[in-house]
Amino acid sequence: MRTELRSTVDRLDRPSAYYQSRNKRKRGDHGRDNRDGDSEMANAQPEEPPEDPLRNATTLYVGNLSFYTTEEQVYELFSKCGEIKRLVMGLDRFRKTPCGFCFVEYYTHQDALDCMKYIGGTKLDERIIRTDLDPGFEEGRQYGRGKSGGQVRDEYRDDFDEGRGGLGRAIEHERMRDVEKNREKDQHTEEDYGRLR
Amino acid sequence: MADHDRRQPGGGFNSRKRRYRDDDDYDRRPQRRRYDAPLPVRIRKQLLGLAESPVRRWHEEVQSIAHVVADNYDDQELRTSFLDLVPQMVIEQPLKTPFVAAVVLVINSLKPDMLDELLVRVTSATEEKVKVGEWRDVKLYLKFLACLQSCLDGDGLFPFLDELFNRAGDLQTASSDDTIGTELVKIILLTIPYIMSAAPVEQWQQKAAELMDKTDVIASEPHALQVLIDPYHATEGTESPTANMSLIGLLQKQLQNEASNGWELSCLPRPWQMPLEEIEQQEKLDNAQKHTLPSISIPEKVIAGPRPLFPEVYFSVYVTQEIESVPPVSSIASSIIRDALLDTINILDFNRNVTARFLIDVDCYFAPGTFIKRATPFDRLRDIEGGRSTWKPEDVAVDAVFSQLFQLPIPEHKLVYYHSVLTEACKIAPAAIAPSLGRAIRYSYQNTYRLDLELCYRFLDWFTHHLSNFGFMWKWTEWVEDVNLPDMHPCKAFIVGALDKEIRLSFAQRIKGTLPELYQVLIGPEKEQDTPEFKYNDEHTPFSAEGKELATLLKRKAPDEEIQPIIDRIHSAALDQAIDPLVTSTDVFMTAVCWVGSKSLSHVLACIERTKDRLLDAGAASEAARAQIITAVMSYWSAHPGVAISIVEKLLNYSIVTPLSVIDWALVSDRAGPHGQALSKAWVFELVFNTVVKVTGRLRQVVSGGMGEGAEDEVAAMRDLFKGMEDALISWAQGTKDQMMDPVVVDGDEDLVKRWGERWLRVFRRRSAIEEAFLLENKPAS
Repeated sequence: MRTELRSTVDRLDRPSAYYQSRNKRKRGDHGRDNRDGDSEMANAQPEEPPEDPLRNATTLYVGNLSFYTTEEQVYELFSKCGEIKRLVMGLDRFRKTPCGFCFVEYYTHQDALDCMKYIGGTKLDERIIRTDLDPGFEEGRQYGRGKSGGQVRDEYRDDFDEGRGGLGRAIEHERMRDVEKNREKDQHTEEDYGRLR
Repeated sequence: MADHDRRQPGGGFNSRKRRYRDDDDYDRRPQRRRYDAPLPVRIRKQLLGLAESPVRRWHEEVQSIAHVVADNYDDQELRTSFLDLVPQMVIEQPLKTPFVAAVVLVINSLKPDMLDELLVRVTSATEEKVKVGEWRDVKLYLKFLACLQSCLDGDGLFPFLDELFNRAGDLQTASSDDTIGTELVKIILLTIPYIMSAAPVEQWQQKAAELMDKTDVIASEPHALQVLIDPYHATEGTESPTANMSLIGLLQKQLQNEASNGWELSCLPRPWQMPLEEIEQQEKLDNAQKHTLPSISIPEKVIAGPRPLFPEVYFSVYVTQEIESVPPVSSIASSIIRDALLDTINILDFNRNVTARFLIDVDCYFAPGTFIKRATPFDRLRDIEGGRSTWKPEDVAVDAVFSQLFQLPIPEHKLVYYHSVLTEACKIAPAAIAPSLGRAIRYSYQNTYRLDLELCYRFLDWFTHHLSNFGFMWKWTEWVEDVNLPDMHPCKAFIVGALDKEIRLSFAQRIKGTLPELYQVLIGPEKEQDTPEFKYNDEHTPFSAEGKELATLLKRKAPDEEIQPIIDRIHSAALDQAIDPLVTSTDVFMTAVCWVGSKSLSHVLACIERTKDRLLDAGAASEAARAQIITAVMSYWSAHPGVAISIVEKLLNYSIVTPLSVIDWALVSDRAGPHGQALSKAWVFELVFNTVVKVTGRLRQVVSGGMGEGAEDEVAAMRDLFKGMEDALISWAQGTKDQMMDPVVVDGDEDLVKRWGERWLRVFRRRSAIEEAFLLENKPAS
């Protein structure tokens, strides 16, 4: 189906560097991985494994969803590339609420490729979403792998993203602690000097 | 001089050239090895980027590449890479073909050996494509060879075109339904202008005239299948705007026009023509060695190839404007530019960003002066004087994409691809593209009443998807008067359908916020409710107690033994009231399933999965029970038909309901809307259309898999389905439907209903015809 020649234009239906790097690290026996959290580390060379597990992939990882985006919305958009066989929403490991990613499984590999080409990088619920070919959903992967239960990227994000719970949770936590500390300090101050004001 | 200026210190860093030069001189980052990239890599990069710059120094780019290739012709790697790349460029980036040809022509003037090698490659590639019926690739190779006509011996490309025509003639004589012959004639007619732009000598004018004399018979005759794929479905007593817009018919006339104007072909670029100061190079070009074109053989039996062929109709959303913002159909430019754009769009589906870039840059690839400056507002076109072009590049680009969205029976790629191209184009150049899209939308909206109904649905789907990428912003105020039209009016039906689709991609409150006051009534409070009420929670609903009990059992995943007693209770109560027991229990049960699963599609699907045996039994028991399953889903989700449609789709997969029961439910019973109102609802069309696509898709899979076991049954089932639709729709279309005869309802809506019926009928008759044609082509050889 594909020409052996390199195309004169890049293709959008290739797996991201994330997948490649993940594979590589797996072979190197490094432990955890979480896609959006580690994508910056994706500087590995594309090294083709002998049997490409994505060769007939029908599943896509979908990232950068809003926590409020519903299954129905995902269905409405992703059905434009073919009938959806299964949809698994990503959930916060502790709260069991959507945490901004999902797995969409199609019936055919072609539908999944088309989705990469035509839907990845467009908007759903007014957010640019990211799609990546995926070797297939396995039980357990629906949960966020961040410390506090969501995705890793939502731990340390220092921008305020309303659709994804505001600030990164670790940072939020830190700030809360600071506020808490300050308040304590303030209280001390108040106790000590308050009446003088 | 320029160099000197650039070397002035403190000149800022806004000049790309400057930085490039500086880096070249001092090369501060040697580790990157950017500037000693091997020759083949450099040439590849230059060739791929050919003509992209809006500065239009074509001759410089062309000569620069040509000289490097010619000077290093002994570099085996460079030569191979160049000879590989040229044919590939021609197939993948067709807008650049004339420029690639110019490079080759200049090389020929320096190192004529190269051309022999290249011609062998291109002609054998062409032959290969002819063999497998990849007609677009054939056309693209021929376009390239046509641009090389000036360095070809003898009659150049003409003998091959003659041969192609002979085949076309034979095919057309053999069958009036033939589409390969039509395709071949199209290829011939689209190749001629490139020959004439490359070699405008008198000898070729004669040859072209002879060829066109021959094609005239086929090109001027309307094709038998054209009515089937006309994007318009004209109302009675009127003519379709595209009735006389057969692509090859127009081409034939446009070329005759050109011939009588001495083949001006003013839109085509001629990068092989050197400016006056390059007189030396021009002389070399004029006197370059000529080569014999290796022959390209055509197999005994030509085939249609992987994509079914249909005659083509030229479609434009801008033709009715008072000022020309796109080439008129009388001009060959309309066909040539459209052809090159469509090839670009359909070939590059694997990178919509690049496609969009090509669309925005379309003016780079045609002769200077073909278009007006980019992003010129439409209103400004009025002020253009002195016969200068008023063609807006954005309009031409958008028009091309719309012609694919509105292509019947189906465009080459999934519709969402064309959506994504428009989205990207809009992202790259919003100020230029958005107003063009606005006019395209207005045109389509004003013409919904006569557009083919399938295309109306496509338009609706695109429109709402597009808005969802741009904050749902649309000037709804301009259609505000249509809000008060009856719901069955095509414009009102579009508005209602669009709002529903928008809500599906977003949520009701958000969409309400984008609408003017007068539209607010169209989004009722039920749409803002995420989870519809469970009707059995109301004590007054018959079987309220049973409904609630069933819901509780389903929630705690109780085994079927616990469910059965309640169903039995409903049955006996129903018998007492002399109503259908199974229908009654099915309503309660299915509604309870919906309610229990109302949290999300996953929930309802899991619930259906758990109860599928019961549902299967109910569905299998009677027609009425099957219909009731659908009714229960549809009424529970009446405010969110998108959810209902998804559920029905899964019920079809489980064979709990049958395709025919869906069709009956939607078109025969009054359940989807009384007195034929169902026909005007976009979601009813979607439900039926998806069901039909599911059936035909499965059939195609079976047939392509070699007509195995059960294929005959599938074929029969499909024919039953179409027959059922025909029967249902024809009575609407002819006004003989009982519901229409009811004197209470006839209040002028009758004509509207009939029209909707006709439009539905046309869509599904076409689908049926296409499936039959597919079966015919794929009949087992036995």
